[in-house]
Amino acid sequence: MPVAVGPYGQTQPNCFDRVKMGFMMGFAVGMAAGAMFGTFSCLRVGMRGRELMGGVGKTMMQSGGTFGTFMAIGMGIRC
Amino acid sequence: MEEYAREPCPWRIVDDCGGAFTMGAIGGGIFQAVKGFRNSPAGLNHRLRGSLTAVRTRAPQLGGSFAVWGGLFSTIDCGLVKIRGKEDPWNSITSGAMTGAILAARNGPVAMMGSAAMGGILLALIEGAGILLTRFASSQFPTGPKFAEEPTPMPTPSFGDYRQYQ
Repeated sequence: MPVAVGPYGQTQPNCFDRVKMGFMMGFAVGMAAGAMFGTFSCLRVGMRGRELMGGVGKTMMQSGGTFGTFMAIGMGIRC
Repeated sequence: MEEYAREPCPWRIVDDCGGAFTMGAIGGGIFQAVKGFRNSPAGLNHRLRGSLTAVRTRAPQLGGSFAVWGGLFSTIDCGLVKIRGKEDPWNSITSGAMTGAILAARNGPVAMMGSAAMGGILLALIEGAGILLTRFASSQFPTGPKFAEEPTPMPTPSFGDYRQYQ
């Protein structure tokens, strides 16, 4: 694949880089959102202490993965 | 990043609606394929068939709800741009919250509040990540002439066609 070289050097990231960047961004957003909403929902079902940490971590990873996948797709269909 | 290079306003609604449908359909296809594969009875044939059924029934639904969200979101966004006369992250956050509230309107005011808070927080996170990303990217990739010290001249001035590769 030829590298897109503009008049100011290589400033355009290519498609796979954009998809990767979208995944990282979505993963970060999803982790943050999962930390908030996961804390609420785990407190609501009555988890405390060590169990709470595990529950929140699981929710964070799940929502990070979901968000990252969707964000990567959203980046991928636009380039 | 794409927040600052988007379509002009009335057409953004169509663009976001279609983009959201595609995103939801593809993502829903991936997730439902895995889910249908795991939820089916044993045997590869059954599993593939269950996977296909799950994708066929669920992926367009998810795409449709994504499309409703995206279309309503950018409708409100455009309205806010028109009313306030400027375009900043608060528009997105407000329209995310309002979209959540409107789409949960049939479930009562408590559900509306919860859904609005969720939409607003999500959009605030996304906007914040976008701002951080543009700041980080602009500091990491300086847009100066990078190949000034390279001795090889460009064979052809590629002004006209460098955009077709992306």
